[in-house]
Amino acid sequence: MKVSKNELKASLHKAFEGLGFHSGDYHNATDMVIWLEAHGFYGFDRLIAALSYLNTTAPVHADLTQEDGHNFVLDGRGTSILLCGSEAVDLLRAASTANSSAGLELINCYNRTFIIQRLVKAAERNVAFVAYWRQLDYCVKVSVEAGGLLPEYKTFSLIEEFDIQSLRVFCGPSLKIVENQYAQYLKFGRLIDTYDSAKMEDCYRDSLEQGIEIDEALWKTLDDLVARVLVESTELSRAGAGD
Amino acid sequence: MHSSIQNTGILSEFNILAMRPASQVMQLDRLGSFHQTRLSFMRTLVRRMVTENWQISTPVFDLDEQGYGTVVYQVVAKYGTFSYVLFSHYLDPECRNDRVIADQWDLTMALCEGTVDAEQLAFLRENVPKQEAGRVDSRVMVLSRANRSARTFEYVVNELTNGCQPNIDVIAEVGYLYRTTAAYGSGKLGMADWEKVWTKHRDFARPFAAEMFTCYILRHFSMEQADYLAAKRAPKTAVKLDENIKRYIGIGNSTGLGMAPFLINHPLLINQWVEMRETALARVVAASEFGVEKEILVHLDMGAKRVIQHLSEIVTGDERQHKSNLTVQKELHLLRLWLQEEGPELASNHLVWRTLIEYAEQHWHVETQEIINTLLIELYPELVDELEERMWVEECYDVTPEMSVSDLISIIEDKYDWALAIDFSKHESTGAFWYRSEEKMEPRLGQTDIDLGMEKEMPLGIGRRVRDCYDQMCSYNLEQPNQNVAHFIIKNPTRSGIVARIQTMANSLYGDIRENLLHTDVLPIHLLRCKLSFFGVSKFDPRSRLWVRNTMFQGAPLIDDFGKPLCDDWHFPIKPIFTAG
Repeated sequence: MKVSKNELKASLHKAFEGLGFHSGDYHNATDMVIWLEAHGFYGFDRLIAALSYLNTTAPVHADLTQEDGHNFVLDGRGTSILLCGSEAVDLLRAASTANSSAGLELINCYNRTFIIQRLVKAAERNVAFVAYWRQLDYCVKVSVEAGGLLPEYKTFSLIEEFDIQSLRVFCGPSLKIVENQYAQYLKFGRLIDTYDSAKMEDCYRDSLEQGIEIDEALWKTLDDLVARVLVESTELSRAGAGD
Repeated sequence: MHSSIQNTGILSEFNILAMRPASQVMQLDRLGSFHQTRLSFMRTLVRRMVTENWQISTPVFDLDEQGYGTVVYQVVAKYGTFSYVLFSHYLDPECRNDRVIADQWDLTMALCEGTVDAEQLAFLRENVPKQEAGRVDSRVMVLSRANRSARTFEYVVNELTNGCQPNIDVIAEVGYLYRTTAAYGSGKLGMADWEKVWTKHRDFARPFAAEMFTCYILRHFSMEQADYLAAKRAPKTAVKLDENIKRYIGIGNSTGLGMAPFLINHPLLINQWVEMRETALARVVAASEFGVEKEILVHLDMGAKRVIQHLSEIVTGDERQHKSNLTVQKELHLLRLWLQEEGPELASNHLVWRTLIEYAEQHWHVETQEIINTLLIELYPELVDELEERMWVEECYDVTPEMSVSDLISIIEDKYDWALAIDFSKHESTGAFWYRSEEKMEPRLGQTDIDLGMEKEMPLGIGRRVRDCYDQMCSYNLEQPNQNVAHFIIKNPTRSGIVARIQTMANSLYGDIRENLLHTDVLPIHLLRCKLSFFGVSKFDPRSRLWVRNTMFQGAPLIDDFGKPLCDDWHFPIKPIFTAG
């Protein structure tokens, strides 16, 4: 079945609310899922993966464990980027404004691809971002130019071992500055694949024109989560609607 | 003399406008006293349809002897072609229900992009009558339904069948033949996303334009169906509805709590609407800097006279609204007296409209004040109408993480002083809560000591959320001075939503609606009326504090008027002078 962005947004807001997310969190998580799905990043598949965790525990946020002014380490405590991605990017943005560039390592977190939407949104404020993480036996690198509307998404072979559940993000006034300043961290192996921004645009255009295809089972799962925020209807409660 | 109009430094192409302050405008009882203006969506839609001469044809008019069947109207607007597909069904009167929870209706409709072929029509016939229980696709822009008026529909058909025009007093009491009970757009139920509508279909690229159009064509159908049924029943003797009566027939509307959360969840959009309305008013005040032309004074007097008649013709069982209508009529009589007695002097008075507004604020009912503002805006279309292009804004909230916590505390103290002034320790301050019922997710208002479901409360109590965040932020600032908002959120992640809202709305001119929606005695009807005034409805008839009846497009031009010189003065409709013949 197909749904519009708006309909999906309304459903996801309530579904995340049903999972115990607070208002800022469910807005951000919704934006992440929709952006990824509408731009061809398999947001729904990643959501299904995230739900297997989110459905079993109360929402957990990251802890700030180290900072030195413009470098941070956050411990995700096993949570999803849907819950801790926004605060991580906001922390970087704040530091970048004051110090031009900043870097962050988010350890012990899951569903890292969702971070792309937060980076694109943050880039609107004229901050450039580079993020990378290990995915199985390859590395994903995402770059967004300051003011850029779409990211550059590439995968590389691994040349160093690093924590499989961590994510590194660097930001600054431009990609050139970030790449120069953090060159020692931004070393990758052989380029495996690139996801073209033109394809992202095409995918988005199609999703707007035709709607977004969603598996009925996932829609049903969302409905079940939405049901958690609904209140049983009684004769008394009908009076609260004007009866 | 105290002036509520303050110079807020808003630059316009004319000069620095004096806008009314948010502390005055965003009070809920004032928002609930708004009436339609030239910027209301029905008004702008009608201007567009008439001046651009939209062509409406009827490729399918397949109704049976009882008026049941299928009708397709084809709409050729300035930039595109659309199809309005309508299904008319038999409905047991016992099943006729205007509430969201209804599942059968007399009419169900869909507004679609392009033309509709047989295959799509079959698909629509399968799904549109089910409304929320069906699914449509992204070719559909609006889904709607309507119920017949038990008081007028059969009466009008019978009169026409008998060769008579209906008694205008009967029409005046009700105002319509059909009531719409919902008009869904914005991508619900598989429909086209709002972003698609505003980027692809310029004819409807304004808030609620497609939804309003759906109601306008419903109005056309309601009268066409009445004519059709009369002709079927008495082919030789039946007459068609008189054109003057047709213009006076609108579409009924019942609006309940479902609309209330929209205003709280779209504060940037509401701010934009209010800001444009206030900009219009400020421009009008500025235009009277060196006095006003005599002709303008005459127009204002005629407008006041019309409103008095309009209000006198409203039938409402709501005592508060009835009293208000009487008070407004009395005070508008005083306005007319003032215009008559002081007219020649007023014409040369400096900023005469500012003087009038200030006088009204000091002496008259809030609803009179806002009706006067509406009438003033009406006088200067050349200053106002271009603002209709600026009624939309993207709803987007963002944290400004680099802001210092102490700066954010100052912002709250400045912009949300109204929230900090509420004593939430009083039981009545949190005596109500909002929730969604499992019945079609209908929003409902509960009482905390009576109703169940408090733990599933919708986060509409902005005042309390601001207060809680403020308290936590003040404590944090004492423990961790000189920190920024990003660090505050890391420590207090559940506050990120309200922080984003506060920081975003702080940059807007009018900001949030200033009311504690959790108060035991909250009047949600003000929220409904505020939104409905921007839609452009008239004849408010509150049925409780939770829902209101009103009419849409009453007095508006007919399809036959498209392409003719526009008579854009159909606001505050009054009974036509008509002699049954």
